[in-house]
Amino acid sequence: MSSVTQLDKQESLPFYEPQGDEVELFMHAYKHKLPVLIKGPTGCGKTRFISYMAEKLNLPLYTVACHDDLSASDLVGRHLIGDGATVWSDGPLTRAVREGGICYLDEVVEARKDTTVVIHPLTDDRRILPIDRTGETLHAPDNFMLVVSYNPGYQNLLKGMKPSTRQRFLSMSFDYLPAPAEVEVLLNETELDRSMAERLVVLANTLRELKDQDLEEGASTRLLVYTATLISTGFDPVKACRAGMIEPLTDDPDIVAGLMELVQAAFGSFEG
Amino acid sequence: MEEQVGQIWDRLITRIAQQGYPDAAVTLDQIKAPLGVFFRALGGDSALRVTATTATLHKARRNWLQRVAGSGRKVELAWQDETCLYLPAQLDVFPDAQLNRDLYFWLAAMAGARVPAETHRNQNWIVDNQQRTLYTLRQFRGLHQRYLSLVRAYSALRPQPEKLKPDAAAQERAIQQALTDPGSVGALPEARFAPDPVPLWLHPDPPRSAGLSNTADGQDRSASKGETRQAQQRRRQAERVEKPEDQGFTLGVRHEADLFSFGEFCKMDRGTDEEDDLDQAEDIANDIDKMSVAQDNTTVASRIKFDLDLPSEQEDDIPLSEGMLYPEWDFKKAQLLPDQCRVIPMLSRNAVDCELPEHLQKPARRLRRQFESLSARPQWIRGQYEGDKLDLDAYLDYRGAISSGGSAHAGDPRLYYQKRPLVRDMACLLLADLSLSTDAWVNDNHQVIDVIRDSVHLFAESLHASGDQFAIHGFSSRRREHVRFNCIKDFNENYNAKVRGRIADISPGFYTRMGAAIRHATDLLGKQSAEKKLLLLLTDGKPNDLDRYEGRYGVEDTRKAILEARNQGLIPFCITIDEEANQYLPYLFGHQGYTFIRQAEQLPKRLPQLYMTLTGKLFGG
Repeated sequence: MSSVTQLDKQESLPFYEPQGDEVELFMHAYKHKLPVLIKGPTGCGKTRFISYMAEKLNLPLYTVACHDDLSASDLVGRHLIGDGATVWSDGPLTRAVREGGICYLDEVVEARKDTTVVIHPLTDDRRILPIDRTGETLHAPDNFMLVVSYNPGYQNLLKGMKPSTRQRFLSMSFDYLPAPAEVEVLLNETELDRSMAERLVVLANTLRELKDQDLEEGASTRLLVYTATLISTGFDPVKACRAGMIEPLTDDPDIVAGLMELVQAAFGSFEG
Repeated sequence: MEEQVGQIWDRLITRIAQQGYPDAAVTLDQIKAPLGVFFRALGGDSALRVTATTATLHKARRNWLQRVAGSGRKVELAWQDETCLYLPAQLDVFPDAQLNRDLYFWLAAMAGARVPAETHRNQNWIVDNQQRTLYTLRQFRGLHQRYLSLVRAYSALRPQPEKLKPDAAAQERAIQQALTDPGSVGALPEARFAPDPVPLWLHPDPPRSAGLSNTADGQDRSASKGETRQAQQRRRQAERVEKPEDQGFTLGVRHEADLFSFGEFCKMDRGTDEEDDLDQAEDIANDIDKMSVAQDNTTVASRIKFDLDLPSEQEDDIPLSEGMLYPEWDFKKAQLLPDQCRVIPMLSRNAVDCELPEHLQKPARRLRRQFESLSARPQWIRGQYEGDKLDLDAYLDYRGAISSGGSAHAGDPRLYYQKRPLVRDMACLLLADLSLSTDAWVNDNHQVIDVIRDSVHLFAESLHASGDQFAIHGFSSRRREHVRFNCIKDFNENYNAKVRGRIADISPGFYTRMGAAIRHATDLLGKQSAEKKLLLLLTDGKPNDLDRYEGRYGVEDTRKAILEARNQGLIPFCITIDEEANQYLPYLFGHQGYTFIRQAEQLPKRLPQLYMTLTGKLFGG
């Protein structure tokens, strides 16, 4: 079953560091009922951005983490066995269409192809969701918005998005934050002091240089936050980097060895 | 007797005079891979290979022992040019192995430092090295500690200024100050001798290999392909010189009067490789500082021409068309030069229809069985009128529909799963490198080309059994206007005795202009309608050709061609038997885009397996 989360209303907006005009673009897309596709490497802040926008627009958020077993009925809904009878149960997509809100399909290329087809009629001007099994056709309300995301870096690893699907969305590209902004994120999310945060960001950016050659992907902001959390709670920085940034990126012992030298170079003589 | 005594004396005095700590030595081979990663991460150019440098002469004053022993004249220092990062093959500067290891990483960091161009242009080497040191330390504060311990340990090994003549002492003080307080020394004081080399710094005057880049198309480069010996790939300083007038010069005669000269002429016929004892040849090459390869058009070049000239038209394969023009990427200009290469599709003239060679019959049978089962791998199809097992979801939907009064499927419910063979929509083009380097011997009985031929045979058998669409082509080249593209099996051709005949007729020749061949293969594969398209490259080495297509130029063009293929939605993958492959293939194909097969003999078995895993991944199996 897919994981569905509906965020509780929070007192304040979650912390989000804009990279450009993405907030404005998103607002416009919402106003004109256009679906949005967000591209970007893992852990660069796509999901955080959507949470932030849902909060800002005051919409419920239905997040579906897509995977290769995700079927159309996981999205739309299915019959469940009830007490002596079968009961229809809405999936996250159907619920978002019925009640209004943002339906966010995270890593949509991971889903099976027959699954992504069900979103097609929702992405054009009809904005409908036909449910074969109950014979219903739902019309999306004005406050429904479809958002999907994927990581183009994986594309060469055999999975890509069909052009016909891609062309149904307004698209925006996300990338890792510029160094000063990323430092702010670390300071905001963890108790780390500024000089350590700066070192971490320099290290992360050197790791990102290795993408496509020694590494499949660079270190994500998410991993940085994890590492920063470890360090700020008194964990040895070199070990924290190993667990938080190096081991998650590669299994190749030679590359780990080379990267650990890099970590040493960044944190080796860390005192205090 | 005299000779023996001489040898013993030589060994003894050399050992006494030797500086360094062999017991604590760290070799480049031990740490090459992590070092490469480190270098690239610190900003080093990712197209550079990490390789061992050769010793270069330094002009520092030697101590009397060294002079007696005749040693200590040369030093191995780090430097880089546009193709490689050169590091000493071995470091034994310090008595502590950890320090020697640290020194390697320090050198890589120095070389990788992206010092802003304006700071190091027009500056002398001592300032440049201090700048790099400062920059590296600023960027990576964790290196401070290590740099300090390196300098501390190294200062003890430097000559003491008090014991030197005044001019040398001033120079030595400047160097020591530059080491302990980088950035504080503006220039090196003049002295009679050059100072002792500093192994913590990059080479003050890296040898330029400009003479090597032979741009004149009219001259044949005698690249010794066919020579796959990998033993000790040291960088040799080579320069192109006019052939000495007197053919009779030999080493001794010429240099009797000039024992300490920088270079020695070594009349070497690089085209023939007649030197039986390769070890000896290599030792000689290592001893010579600078090898001068003479442009000897009368002997060497004519010999090569004879080997590599195109066969006459009656003998040669049948050209299928005038050829297609393809662009080539010039990395220096950073632009695609249009219509640079002519790719000529060829069909073997002498191929005779044949069956699979005897020794491949058995493995082929086994592979066929495996691949047949692959093609017929069944999949459960849901929502069928009848089938092997009940589809619970469909049943529940059915019950739900009935109880809610709907009668959508009530009449004839589709409630079953059925097992059906999976149809894979897949096209694969195998592109085999047929350049002359495949002429080399793998072992006493087999050549690389035999291995490639067997691999292609088995691959064809396997794919035929799998039912996937496939094509097989080979390529070789002789400069940009003649890239041969041997057609072995087209996509729309059936696999039969004729194709087997063409595989059997595969023969090596010429050079490896990979970019153009990949571009043509991309075109062919791109026209296929399959859902997944796999471009498999089978090679034994790097891109190279007679003209400037070698080293960095060839690698960059090939990389461009691969990126283009990828952008068109193809999946390029490389299979290589080149041991140095991990130096450049990640740059070309990405870390996951290639595989290295250690023993060429295993290639025939491994290739089909590889295809299976690869396509298994493609179809989520």
